[in-house]
Order: sequence, then C-alpha cells, then structure tokens
Amino acid sequence: MKSLSKGSQAALITLVVGALCLLLESMLPWLTSYPKGWELAASDWVGLGVKSGLDFIKPAARMFSTLMGYPMAAANSVLATVPWPLLIAAAVALGWRLGGLKMAAMAAVGLGLVVMSGYWPQGMNTLALVAVSVPLAMMAGTLIGILANEYPRFREPIQALLDVMQTVPTFAYLTPLLVLFGFGPVVGLIASAIYAAPPMARNVLLGLQRVEPEVKEAAVMAGGTRLQQLFQVEIPAAKLQIMVGVNQCLMAALSMVIIAAVIGGFNDIGWEVLLTMRKAQFGAAMLAGSVIVIFAILIDRMSATLALDRRRLWDGRVALGILAVGLLASLALRSSLPDPGSYQMLDPVAVWLDSWLTDFTRANADLLTSVKNGIMFYVLLPLRIGLDQAILPFTWGFLWTPGMSLWFFAAAAGTALVLGLRGQLTLGLVVLIAAGILETGVSQLPWPFVLIGAAALSWVAGGHRLAILSTVLLATILVSGLWERALLSLYLSGAAVFACAVLGGGIGLLSAVSPMVWRVVRPICDMLQTIPLFVFLIPVLMVFQIGEFSAFLAIIAYAVVPMIRYTRQGLIDTPEEMIEAATAAGATRWQMMRDVRAPYAAPTILLGLNQTILYAFAMLVIAALIGTTGLGQSIYLALGQADVGLGISAGAAMAILALIADRIVQGFAEERKRALGL
Amino acid sequence: MSGSDTPAISCQNVWQVFGNNADSALSEALSQHQDPDAVSDALRAKGLVPAVQDANFEVKEGELFVIMGLSGSGKSTLIRCISHLLHATHGEIRIEGEDIVSASKARLIELRRKTLGMVFQHFGLFPHMTVLDNVAYPLRVQGVKKKARLAKAKEVIELVGLGGREDHYPRELSGGQRQRVGIARSLVTDCSVWFLDEPFSALDPLIRRQLQDEFLDIQAKLKTTIVFITHDINEALKLADRIAIMRDGKVVQIGTPADIVLNPVDDYVREFSKDVAKGRHANVGSVMLSPENHAYGADDPGLRRDMTLDAALARCMDLYEPVPVRDSDGHLVGVINPADLAAALQVDTAS
Repeated sequence: MKSLSKGSQAALITLVVGALCLLLESMLPWLTSYPKGWELAASDWVGLGVKSGLDFIKPAARMFSTLMGYPMAAANSVLATVPWPLLIAAAVALGWRLGGLKMAAMAAVGLGLVVMSGYWPQGMNTLALVAVSVPLAMMAGTLIGILANEYPRFREPIQALLDVMQTVPTFAYLTPLLVLFGFGPVVGLIASAIYAAPPMARNVLLGLQRVEPEVKEAAVMAGGTRLQQLFQVEIPAAKLQIMVGVNQCLMAALSMVIIAAVIGGFNDIGWEVLLTMRKAQFGAAMLAGSVIVIFAILIDRMSATLALDRRRLWDGRVALGILAVGLLASLALRSSLPDPGSYQMLDPVAVWLDSWLTDFTRANADLLTSVKNGIMFYVLLPLRIGLDQAILPFTWGFLWTPGMSLWFFAAAAGTALVLGLRGQLTLGLVVLIAAGILETGVSQLPWPFVLIGAAALSWVAGGHRLAILSTVLLATILVSGLWERALLSLYLSGAAVFACAVLGGGIGLLSAVSPMVWRVVRPICDMLQTIPLFVFLIPVLMVFQIGEFSAFLAIIAYAVVPMIRYTRQGLIDTPEEMIEAATAAGATRWQMMRDVRAPYAAPTILLGLNQTILYAFAMLVIAALIGTTGLGQSIYLALGQADVGLGISAGAAMAILALIADRIVQGFAEERKRALGL
Repeated sequence: MSGSDTPAISCQNVWQVFGNNADSALSEALSQHQDPDAVSDALRAKGLVPAVQDANFEVKEGELFVIMGLSGSGKSTLIRCISHLLHATHGEIRIEGEDIVSASKARLIELRRKTLGMVFQHFGLFPHMTVLDNVAYPLRVQGVKKKARLAKAKEVIELVGLGGREDHYPRELSGGQRQRVGIARSLVTDCSVWFLDEPFSALDPLIRRQLQDEFLDIQAKLKTTIVFITHDINEALKLADRIAIMRDGKVVQIGTPADIVLNPVDDYVREFSKDVAKGRHANVGSVMLSPENHAYGADDPGLRRDMTLDAALARCMDLYEPVPVRDSDGHLVGVINPADLAAALQVDTAS
C-alpha cells in the first residue's frame, strides 16, 4: 500500500467500496437508495428558520423596496418619456466618443433594429432596471473591494462570500427575495445588484493589490494620509482593472435582470421572451431575444473600451453634433411620433422565421429525431440509468443480460490488468471504476460509493482538508433528502461538461494550430459569452422542443466557450525558448504539440475546465425552464410556490456540487502548476 | 534637535523578522540567547525569516552612507525599516534624534512631508499623473496651493534636467528619464534625509554613470544626509563616504571605501572588492604609518595624504627606503614604506 502512488491508493479504495456496494446491493437495499427514514426535513427547517428571519427584516425590506421604487420610477419615466430619436442619438454619440465611427454605427444599427422590432418600450423597461441596479452594485462592490484591501483579516471571509455568491444559482436568490420584497420589479433589481456586485468587488480588490508596491510606497513616503494614498494614487492606478469590473458588473446585471423576468409582473424584454417561448411563438421569441443580444453587445463593447490601456476619446464636437441632430429630430417629429411600441416592421420577419422553422423541422423531422433519439438512447440514458436498464430491445435491439454485464466487467478488468502491468496502475483502476459507473448509471450510484469516491478524489487534489470538506458537504445533501435530485443534476452537468471538454478541447486545439480557424471561432466565442444565459434556450427549443436533450444542448452551447478559450490560450502561451529548444531538437509540429505545448498548457486547460463546470451548473438551473429534472427543477418549482426552504436548500445543494467540483479541479491545476515550477 | 553631536540617523539592535507571530518569537529568542547568530538560528528553526539581524550604525549629518549587499541580503528591508515603510520588529531607530519606531501615525506623516525623501529602484511613478503632477504630488498631499506647488515642481524638474517634459506621462519616458522624475519628486519637499533604494540598478551602464555624476553634483549642492542602497561595489566606492556591507541580513563591515578595499573583514567582503582597481579607490592616508615612531629616508617623492595609491606608487617606483607623507603646507603627517604600497594593492592575489 505504501509503495502505491496517492492516485492509485485513492482509486483502489474507491474501487473496493464500489465493488462491495455492487455485490451487497441485492442484500442491503439501503446502499443504493438512501432510506427516507434517515433523512432530516432540512428544507422544511431551513424554510421555517429563514422565513422567521425574513419576517423579522421584512418591514425594513419593504421600506427599502418602497425607497428603491423612486429611482426606478424616475429611470422608467425618463426612458419612457424621452423620445426615442434623442435616446438613440445619445447612444450613438456615446458610441462615437468611445469607439469612433465603428461603434457609433453599431449603436445606430442596433438600436434602429430595436425600434423597428416594436420592443422599444420593453427594452427601455429592462434598461431602467439595469440603470438603477448597476450603480447599486458598483457602489456595494467598490466598498467591499476596498474593505477587503484595507483589512487583510476580512479578505479571506470576503473571498469566500464572493465565491458563494457566484456559485449559488441565480434562481435560488429569487425565492427569498420574493418573500422579502414581494412581487414586483424591485426583486429583479435587488437580485441583479446582488449578482453584479461580486465581479466589481473582485476586480477592485485585484486592481488595488496589483498596484506596484513601489507606487504605494512612493505615496506613503510623499506623506499622504491613508485616504490620500487610496483615492489619489491607488485607485487611479488601478483604474484599468476596476473598469474591467465595471464591464463585468454591467453584463452580470443585464443578464440577471432578464432572468429575474421569470417572476413576471413587469413588462420587460425578458418577460417578453419567456411569454413568447411559452406560447411557442419562436419567431417572436427570437426577435425579442435579439433585442437582448443587441443591448448586451452594445453595453459590453462600449464599456470594454473603458478598460483599454491608453484609450482614445474621439472628437467630442461630433458627439455633440449627433446629439443635436437627435434633439432636432425629436422636436420636429414630436407631434407625429407614434408610440415606439407600435412599429412592428420586423413582424414579417418573425412570421417568416416561424413558417420557415415549421417547414424546416417538418422537412428534417426524421433527421432531427434520429439525432435527438440517438444521443438520448445511446449516450444520455445509459449514463443516467446504467447499461443494465438502458439497453432494451426497443432501443438497442437487444436486451442487456447479466451475462453481458459479466463480459463487460471481464473486458474492463482485462484492460485494467494490461494497463497495470504496463505501469499505469491508476489509469487501470480508473477504467474499472468507470466501467462500474457505466453499468450502474450515475443517477443510481450507491451513496457510500459517491461519498468515498468524492473524498478520495478530493484527497488526491487537495489533501485531507478538502477531503473532509467534500464529505461533510455531500453528506449534508444526503441527509437533506435532495440526494436523488443532486445525482440527476450531476449526471446532466457531468455529461455536458464531458461533451464540452471533448468539443471545446478539440476546437481549442484546432484554433491553436491554425490561426484561420481561430479567426472564425473567436467572434463566435465573443458572441456566445455576451449573450445572456436566457437567450440560449430559444434556438434549441425551436428545433428540439422541450426536454432533456434541449437542456443538454443549451448547457453545452453556453459552457463550451471557456474550454475553447483556455485550451487555445494554454497551448499558445508556451514560452518561446521552449519552442525554440524543441524545434532545435527536430520536433515536428504535432510532436511539439504533444510533448511540449500540451504538458505546459495543462494547468491553464484545467482552469478552463473549471470555468466550464461552473458555467454548466449556472446554465443547468436556467435550463430547468425547458425541462430538466434534478436540483434545477426544484429551484424553479420553489420559485413558483414561493417555497423558501426548498429554494434555499436546493440552491445550496447546487452550490455545494459546484464548489466541490471547483475545488477539486483547482487542486489539480495547482498541483500541475507546482510540478511545472510555475 | 539636530545639533552637531546628534547623528542624522542612528540604528541600534534593529531586527526585522518575517513570519507568523514574529514579534513574540523574536522577543522570546532575544531573552534566551545573547549572540545574534544564535537568535537568528532559533528564529530560522521556527520557520521565520530574520531579514535584518541586529543592525547597529550611525549616519552623520550630511554623510553619504551606502548600504551594499547582494540581492536577498536584507538591504532593501533595512532601508524600509529606517524610512518606516516597514515597522521594525525590534530595535531603536532615530532620525535626527527622534525615535521613529514609536512615532505616532500623524507624526510619521509629518516627518515624511518635511524631512524624508525616497527614490525607488523601479521608480514608483504614478502612472496616471504627468511628470509635473508626479513631482508636485508630495506638495499636493500637504495642501500646498496648485500654483505654488507647480512652480516649485518646475524648479526641481529643471534641476534634474528634465525641463520641457513636464506634460509627459511616465510611460512616455526612457528609464533614465523616469528615474530623474523619481529623484525630482523626492527632492521637491527639500528633505534633509534622503533614501535611495538601488536608484540606478534598473538602468543601463552608460545612463547609470551619467546619473551617478549628476547625483554627486546634486548632493554637493544640497548636502542632505543620504542612505543609498546598491548591489554594485563600484557604485558604492564611487559615491560613498562610508559603506556598510550586508550579508544574509547581517551588517558584516562598515568602513570608508578604502577600508573596505584594503582591509576586508572576511572572504565575503574580499570577494566583492576582488575585481576593483584598488589603487584608484584607496588613498595614501589609509595605509600610512604615524610619523612619531617611524623613521624615513632621505628621498621625498612629495606624497600627499589624499593621493591615490596608484599615483603614490608611480612616484616611488625606484625607492626602497620609507618616505614621508606631508600635507599641503609641507608638515609631516605620516610615513610610508613603498613596499607596503605595493603590498596593499596585492592583498587579494596573495590570499
């Protein structure tokens, strides 16, 4: 045992526990399904506890809600009463000032389309929410960031808090907020402020910490008081990083405002998407979704220029001129301007899209169904319920017999043996474990096996502390009665992450090898990262209807981007000297890729995988809207029933899964980094 | 306060220890051991880093005191203790007689505004301010009116030879120009104690020499007390009145450039001075004997106390008897044997 590597030891323990569970399964049924009697009514308790807590602060919250109503109403009425030509002119002028002709044109075309679509009023309602929530989030984030910078004692708890705020799924915020603030747009406002504050806080802290030590010392030696140092030197010197925070804060706020539309009751663009989606008016949904995308792109690209080093401001007189034209146009057309909501010039497009879609799905029904069924029956279902149950004559053409299981395990054991003899014992053991998982199915794994397996993996990645943390956190899910749903979530996000890893890794590799490919892939990645989560649902829904497969696709579309980016970045970033040394040694391009670039890129790629996992969990909850089972669904249901206990417990369970996955992958990345001496 | 007897800076038993609970660990170790080395060993055994160990020295008013050592020897830490950018773990540090380790926050700010100036290795310029605003910043924090502070800043910018570049940003300047800005900024408040932390190390050799010469000119004009950090022995010898050599956190030798070159206390110091052309850095005064007990011969090659060894040796190449050393008025101040002159130059090759 002593002579085995850490990985082999962990794999061996996991394998033994798994095998035991599999053998004893028939005798001890509590191994596979955790007995109901052992569960604690945790979500009820949480609900009760939180509710009484919420009731306690409810009056204050309601007052805050009323207070926030004023700026909201103000923003709303400004955006609603100012004639649209003037608003567009203002946006175009801003675009010109920040990014010249290109950005001005982007603003003009984008907002022109919004007016033509007839979604202008809804769009303005959404923007009004963003306009109020972003200053709130920026103020809160800046304060938190400065606090963490000034008092190192608070830094760790604040970092942990920010981690939690970003891993708790967005929907899970909404339920307690709903109870606290009542129905209405203020819930969306607060939720988006809560969601958008962490990136701001992180970037403020990061920026302040990255100010060169000597610059800070110079401010000290100049005799500045702490406040002078902070506001005259450190914050201005950290400006670029803080602007990155502003950009992320804006995007997060917009994304959350749209998600918050789920609770309804407010005539904004997110609600419009949801409504049309529910009515299966996909053309209209696509149109409303495009409005969101236009806003997202404009806000992102404009605010991103703020974070550019040595940015250039374009001639202000031109901007004033554009503004004046807008003003004149509004004045001249004042009486004749109809309600912007009544322009529905793009409706034919929506109708055409709808009919085209119907034709398309009808014409390709066979193909689409076979793709969908193929992946469902041959990939997702076996993964979910195991080969022994998924293989039926109806789908696969034959029945999985116990004899086949035996053969299957024998083949796995043979592979493991060969690998073990060739010195790759850990890999061999992992093959055996994987065979076991495939036979049983992720959603039916015995819980002792999952606990021990996660603990073993955590131990390899991060030592004893992480192992204990994982076990304790997973055990909380187990006793709270959310275990089955958690496994379902794990299965779907696991499958999606795996698909992302293969797909994203492949695309990232190609992009690294060929600049041509990257030129095509890059704008797509940019686009996918700018689009709010919500919008991903529309196209998959259009083609594949409601169901797990659509959710699977939506998750992949959203979560694949970091994998592509980090893989490419890692492979590209190999130090020049190493490349030159390998070239001098006579390595071919692929040898270089395999022997030099890939090992060097491993930590970066692992970080990409980590991001992909977090993205997948975030999307999983949103995807509950179009039909997933598991925790996401519970969170969504809880929102509908204002069940605080279930919402928070399921949200926490989701956060726990994300957190454990995050720590394990980070642990491996750190270990790789250390091994490379980075 | 700063009478002629009070040293401008005095450091007594200064320790700087990094690590968890450094304070208590150090006082515990100090109570158990007498010898500083034993204290350091005890600290290291606990996983702490004694970056400065028991530093003791004084810097006289108007003196140019150089602290020299390799990277990691603790010289930057020591200068940060003296300027109180770091709070010394233990010991007494006085600036113009005033204890700054126990000074209040307000008093420290006051001292930095009026008395102390500092120049940094990587310049530490504020990236968001122009040259003029950078230089004027120490006045700005004091609340000096804009017009007055900009006028003063312009004056100092002229002094360092950067006139005409007031509106540039640091990123638009070369390394040498940036450090001129750093020097100007530290001088704008007419400081009386000036700290320079490897100010020329990041510059290429030609610019470095040019700035060293200009620095000496400025020093001749201002006559401030200076603590100058460097890792370059030639720079130290060129600039210093006295040099302190640090190794692994300890001050191993303090002396004039000639002392360091001619009488290194150990191999570490000797290693430094090995490649130095000694004849140019040591003068006759540092090797001559007192005139009372030593006779001298008939030849008088006209040696002076402040002549370099190279020059002196050139004058008595063919002499074997001891010769007199006189001051400018012709009074006898010492005696030297030409053979000793040659030997002094060859300390290293012999060892």
